[in-house]
Order: sequence, then structure tokens, then C-alpha cells
Amino acid sequence: MTKFQRFLLKRLAISVLLTLIAVSVIFVVLRLLPGSPFEALVTSGNLNQAQIDEIRAMYGLDEPMWKQYINYLGSLLTFQFGYSILRSQPVWDVLEPRLINSLILLVPALVTTAVLSSVVGMYAGWNRGSRLEKFSIVSTTLLRSTPVFITAIFFIIVFAYNLEIVPALGMRSIRATPDGYLETFVSLDFLHHYMLPFTVAVLYYSGDFLLLARNGVVEKRGSEFLKLHRAKGLSEMEQLARAGRNSMLPILTYFTLRLGMIFQGLILLEVVFSWPGIGRELVLAIQQQDYPLVQAAVFIMALAVIIANLAADVLYAYFDPTVSTSGGGSA
Amino acid sequence: MSTETKPKAELYRRVDALWTLVRDQFAFLRRDPLAFAGMLVVAAFVFLGLFGPFLAPHDPIEHTVRGDTGSVLRLSAPSLDAFFGTTAFGKDVLSQFLAGARPTLIVGLFGGLGTGALGFTVGVVSGYYGGWVDELLMRLTDLTFSLPFMPMALLLLTFVTPNIWLITAIIAGFLWKMPARVVRSEVLSVRERTFVKSARASGASDLRTMLYHVAPNVLPIGFLYTAYGVAWAIAAQASLAFLGFGDPTMTSWGRMLRQVFASGNIRVAWWWVLPPAIGIAAITTSVFLIGRAYEEVINPEIQTDQ
Repeated sequence: MTKFQRFLLKRLAISVLLTLIAVSVIFVVLRLLPGSPFEALVTSGNLNQAQIDEIRAMYGLDEPMWKQYINYLGSLLTFQFGYSILRSQPVWDVLEPRLINSLILLVPALVTTAVLSSVVGMYAGWNRGSRLEKFSIVSTTLLRSTPVFITAIFFIIVFAYNLEIVPALGMRSIRATPDGYLETFVSLDFLHHYMLPFTVAVLYYSGDFLLLARNGVVEKRGSEFLKLHRAKGLSEMEQLARAGRNSMLPILTYFTLRLGMIFQGLILLEVVFSWPGIGRELVLAIQQQDYPLVQAAVFIMALAVIIANLAADVLYAYFDPTVSTSGGGSA
Repeated sequence: MSTETKPKAELYRRVDALWTLVRDQFAFLRRDPLAFAGMLVVAAFVFLGLFGPFLAPHDPIEHTVRGDTGSVLRLSAPSLDAFFGTTAFGKDVLSQFLAGARPTLIVGLFGGLGTGALGFTVGVVSGYYGGWVDELLMRLTDLTFSLPFMPMALLLLTFVTPNIWLITAIIAGFLWKMPARVVRSEVLSVRERTFVKSARASGASDLRTMLYHVAPNVLPIGFLYTAYGVAWAIAAQASLAFLGFGDPTMTSWGRMLRQVFASGNIRVAWWWVLPPAIGIAAITTSVFLIGRAYEEVINPEIQTDQ
């Protein structure tokens, strides 16, 4: 077994263990929550004891705790998340479209930002001390440190309420009744609703990529290999391209991490824009104590982050041989 | 005798060195106009957090603003009766803004300090000892990385009635991972330097070596991430409050925004939206601007890593 394979195996085992711990934490927290989603049903007095028992049995709540835990793990492994209590629908049927809605908003936004702001960041880093550098740093610092819902609110006020260019809420207009994903997403109405949240998401993500790219280039600028390139007579742009390529690794791994976090949706952005994504669904499910839905949503979110972390570590270890693969890649 | 005074003298020397460092940083910040502006905002914010509630002309929740005719002024634009206008419930926006700075300051300050202190300790211990201690602590940070912050915080806050200290604890409990990793990687390089090795060779205990030789050399990074921790904590607190998971007994900027948003008045009442929104944006951005200026002094190579 090579060193890299050993590292890979160890990292995989750790990820499995982390997943197990994460889902256990979710389980415990949910069981400790006071009250139960059925309380409203039960206290309304419309059910007799037999009916209550029947409902509890249906959701497996009459079983001892350890058995519930085993069932829970089993259901997660098979992606059978059970039945949503309040929506009377299988959990996955609720979550799948919401997840797609989040991804359709955030994946293009993330890719756009990663490309655009990396390029701008590299250019800014190359022209250190220039007006562009100063401006890009201030504006992205503002955008990434300000909580995303505040940026979103400003944009809504300006573009939706005052200029009235775009709608403020939702993903499709209320009267639209699209059938299937294709009809939902391929329409002018959707595009119209899409622009504002998309822009805010792009701006929100832009800061980290820009600063990463800038720092990378600033660091490479004084290094020996660039002196060689300069001596070889490469133009400024060609030198920048070389420096840029050498600072791609942190950007790439950061992109991977962000990609994992996209499966959480951008909770605050989705809430402000009433975007029917997974993050907003989670907030609603938590407020209504819809256990099965919350469980499944948080599980998906945690799993995506764990997988992305694993991928980022492996990418790093694979592409940068100077990074010690024995340290667990957590440096 | 000398065993007692020597560490003390050493400590004084270190405190003195630290003070010089702080003064130098301050002088540096004054040269950077952005960082200097940020510092002024932070100072104003701290002042508001300390004295805001006393400066508020009215009680932010109890008092209702009345016009000349004695009727309650609801959603009225800024006027002489209420400089910042009133909310949909006839409350004074200025008073709410002034009083709302305090929870933001508390969570920001203690959340940031907690984040920094916890992360610093974990980073130093983990990097210094290495081996299974390192393995264990780093897996623990991996765990906090893999539990998504916002969803978990929301879950925990439904489980207990939110109060400001609990929110602070939850935030610090999730955010310490950032400084921990950065400090650890710094410690890994400091550990290999000659003065640390010679300290250990001359029989200094682990604790002593860590305290006197390793920690001071990674302190600047620790401070930097404590500052970032303050900004993260403020942003997280505002976000939680906006989602309705804030301390229900306190007026905070996040809660003000929630009320104007949830009541649907965001469309008209700009005077109700702007003060808390600008307040939050200004303070978080300022802290980051100061942090960036610091970052270049402490370590030009450090990358902005979140």
C-alpha cells in the first residue's frame, strides 16, 4: 500500500466515524427536544387513546430508545427517511425538490463567483497597492462580512421595491403552475425571480475567493520561479498566469468545501427571498417540530459537508506532494 | 526565592513586550486609513453598547410615541417627535437602535473572546503535544466542521429558550475550530525552532515551554482570529435573531430587522430598516478591515481561510 493509499483509507474511516457521530448528535438533540409534534393533535382532544397509540406506533415512537436509534440509522443508510408528520408526504418527496431549488440557485452562483472573483483577485494581487486592489478588497470585505440577509434586504429595497425591476419574493409567480423541473426552471418568469437572489449569492461568496486568489498571487510574486520567468522574457500577463496557476490549489479546495455547504442552502438568503430551498424548509420544519423532516435535512447537510471535507483533503494531498499525508490532512 | 521572582520578572518583560507590540499595531492602524476608520466605528459601537440603553430617550418596548393629537404614531417617518421614525407598533426606532447595540456587543465580545481563547488553547496544546492528543483534538474540530453551524444552532435553540449567554456559548462552541486550526499549524513550525528545543532540553516543563516559549509566538495570530471571531459572532447572532431565534427579552438589531421584515413593512419603512442594518454591516466590516491590516503585519503569508 502506498503512503497515499494509506492516507486515503484512514481519511475515509475518519469520515465514516464522523458521519456516525454527527447523526447520533442529531438524534440525541431531537429526542431531548421538549414536546412532540403530536402534542397538538393529542391535546386537541379529537383523538382517542387507540388512535394516539396507532399514530405513535406508525412513527415507531412506542419502541424503546435504542431500537428507535437502530431504526433511525437503518433508515438513513437506505435513504428511507420516513414520513413527514406535517406534510403527510414521504420526507424525501418534500426534500428533493427543495434541495434541487437550492442547488439550482447556488451552484451557478458559486461557479460564477469562483471564476470571476479569482480572476479579479489575481489581477488585484498582481497590481498590489493599485486603486483596483484597494477597491476590490474593501467592497468584498463589506460583502462577505455583512450577514447575507442584510445585503439581500438592501437589494430587495433598491431593485424590487424602488426600481421595481424584479419581484421580491418566491421562485415563480404565484399564478405559474409549472409541471416538472424543466418547465419550472426554463422560463422567463423563473429568470425574472432568479436574478436578484443569484446576484446576492454571487456577491456574498465573492469575497473569500477574491482574497484567496489575491493572497496567493501576492505571495508568489516575489518567489524565485517568477524571477526565472521574468528573465526568460515572459510578458506581465504570462507571468501572472504562471503565478495564478500556482495559487489555484487553495482556491480549488476552498471551492470544494463551499460546494459541500451548498447542500445546506443559504438559509438566510432563502428566508428573505422566500426561495423554496432546503434551508428555508429546515427552518419551517424546526419551527413545526417535524422530526423526520428535520432529521433527514440535517443529515443531508452534514453528509455533504463531510464528503466535501474528505474531497478537499484528498485533493490537497494529491496535488501538493509537499503536504504531509501522515498528518491527517487537517493542517 | 529566585525561582519565584525569576518567572515574575520574565512575565513583566513579556507583558512589556506585549504592550509595545500593541502600541506598534495601533500606530500601524493609524497609518492605514481603512483600518483607522474601522477603529473609529468599533469605538463608537463599544460606546453604544455600554451607554446606548441609557441614552435611549424612551423605553424601546414599553413606550409608544404619540403625536400632537395624542394618537399613537405608527410607521411614521422621521420627525421631531421621533428622530428615526416609529415602528408599526408605535415604538421609537432611535431608542430601539440605541438599546439594540448592547446584545450585539455582548455576543460579539464574549463570543469572539470565547472563540479565540478556546481555539487558541486547543491549537497550542494540539500542535505542541502532537501524537494522539493532536489526533483527538483535530478530529474534534473535524466534528464541529461537519456539523453544519446554522442548522445545529437552530436545533439547539428550539431545545432551550434562547438567552443571550446561551447564544454566545453556542456560537463560541462552533467557531473555535477556525483559530484552532490556524494556531495549530503555526505552533507546528514554532515547535521546531531552536529556542523551544533548547528550553525543553534544559528541562523546562511542557506547561512552561508552552506558556513562555510557544504561546507568545503564536499570540498575534490568536488575537487576529479573536477579532475575526467577534465579527463572526455578531453576524451569527444577528442572523439567528432575524430567524426568530434570538433572546426574546432583549431588543437587538437582528430582532429589529426581523420585526420590520416579518410585519411586511420593509417595503415602506426604510427608517426602520436602515439603522439596524447599517449598524450590523458597519461593525462586522470594520472588524474585518482592522483584521486585514493586522494580518499583513503579523504574517504576510497567512491566507484568509474560513
